[in-house]
Amino acid sequence: MRTVNQRGWFFVLPVLILVAFNALMPIMTVVNYSVQETFGNNVFFWQGLDWFEQILRSDRFQAALGRQFLFTAIILAIEVPLGIVIALSMPRKGIWVPVCLVLMALPMLIPWNVVGQMWNIFTLPKVGMLGYFMNDVLGVNYDMTQDPLAAWITVVVMDVWHWTSLVVLLAYAGLVSIPDAYYHAAKIDGASSWSVFRYIQLPKMKTVLTIAILLRFIDSFNIYTEPFTLTGGGPGNSTTLLSIDLVKIALGQFDLGPAAAMSLIYFAITLMVSWLFYTLMTKDDAG
Amino acid sequence: MMRHLIWIATLLPGTAFGQAATGWGNVGKQDDKGFSWTDPLWPDFWMAWTPATFALFCGIFGAIAFVAVLEVWKYPDGLERKGILGLTTTLGDRLFITLLGSAYIFLAWLGFVGQPIWIPLFIAIAWGIFVFWKI
Repeated sequence: MRTVNQRGWFFVLPVLILVAFNALMPIMTVVNYSVQETFGNNVFFWQGLDWFEQILRSDRFQAALGRQFLFTAIILAIEVPLGIVIALSMPRKGIWVPVCLVLMALPMLIPWNVVGQMWNIFTLPKVGMLGYFMNDVLGVNYDMTQDPLAAWITVVVMDVWHWTSLVVLLAYAGLVSIPDAYYHAAKIDGASSWSVFRYIQLPKMKTVLTIAILLRFIDSFNIYTEPFTLTGGGPGNSTTLLSIDLVKIALGQFDLGPAAAMSLIYFAITLMVSWLFYTLMTKDDAG
Repeated sequence: MMRHLIWIATLLPGTAFGQAATGWGNVGKQDDKGFSWTDPLWPDFWMAWTPATFALFCGIFGAIAFVAVLEVWKYPDGLERKGILGLTTTLGDRLFITLLGSAYIFLAWLGFVGQPIWIPLFIAIAWGIFVFWKI
C-alpha cells in the first residue's frame, strides 16, 4: 500500500487557482456556448446538441481533422528520430557542449509568429532566398502560395526546424544522466553500438522521450500561429489545420455555438490521445 | 342589412376589449414561464450559464469531490488494483476513464445516429458501472 502525504496539495494551490482562471472558466464558458445560439449582445438561445451533430457530420470538420492528424503524424515521425540522432551525436564533455546547447535552443527562443513570417519571406518565390534559389537557380517549380504539396512541405520543414531542438534537448538530458559504468560494462561485454543504443540509451531516455512526444503531440495538434502566418491555411484549404478552421468559424463567421462544439470535440481528442499515450508509456513502471 | 351592421358595430368594442384582455395587449412582453432548464440562468453575467450546463458541472465537480474525499479519508490507497486491461487504476483514474469514455459514447452516437441521446445515456451508465467494477 502506498502512503500518500496529502499536504502537498497546499503547495499546488496557487497553480490550481491560476488554472481555474485561465483554463477551467474558459472551458466552462465554451461548454455553455456549445449548447446555445447567439447573435451577439450577450443574448443566448438554447440549441441543445444540434451543433455537435452538425460539426461531427460536416465534411469540412472531417477534412480539417484528417489534415491535423496527418500533420502531427508526419512531424512526430520526423522530429523524434531526428532529435534522438542529433542528441546522440552531440558531445558529452568539453567546450563544444555549451555551444551545441545554445545553438539548439536558438530556434525555440523565436516567437511563433516571427517564425511564420521568417519562413514566409524565406520561401516566397522571387522574393525569398529559398524561393529564388529553388525556382531560378535549381529550376525546380516551387511555389508554396500556389502548390498544396509545396505548402505542406514548407509547413512541415518549418515545424521541424522550430521544434526538433526540444526533442534534442530532452533526449540529451536523458543521455548525460547515464553513468559511465553502463558504457564500460557494455564495452567489456563487446556490445555493438546498436545494442548499446537499444538496451542502455533508449531505456534511459524513455521518460524524457515520453514527455518530448507528449509535448510535441499536444503542441503540433494545437498549432495555429506558424502555419497561419506562413500560408494562412492556403492554398485553398490545403493547410487549414483544425485550429485555423476553428478560428475561422469562431471569429471569422462568429458562429460561436458550432465553434464551441468543435473545440470541445478537439479537446476530447487531445485529452484522449495524451491519456492513452501517457498510460501506455508508464504502464510497465506502475505495475 | 342595416340591422346587421348596427349589430356588428355594437359588438366591435366588446371584441376589442376581449382581445386586449386575452392577449393582444401582451404582445412583445415576456411571458412568465417560471423555471426552465434551458433558459439563461444569469442573463447579465458573461459565462452564458443555463441551469442544465450548471447541473452538468455540479455533477462533475461533485463526483471529483466525492472521490477525493474517499481517497483522502476512507481509502488512502484509492482502492488501487490491476484491472482487466492491465492498467493499475485508483478510484480517481476510474472516474476519469468513466467521464472521458462517456463523452466519446455521446459524441459517437451524435455523429453516427443523432438525437435523442437516451440510448447512449444508458450505454454510458453501463460503461461507468463496468469501469468501476472491472477496470
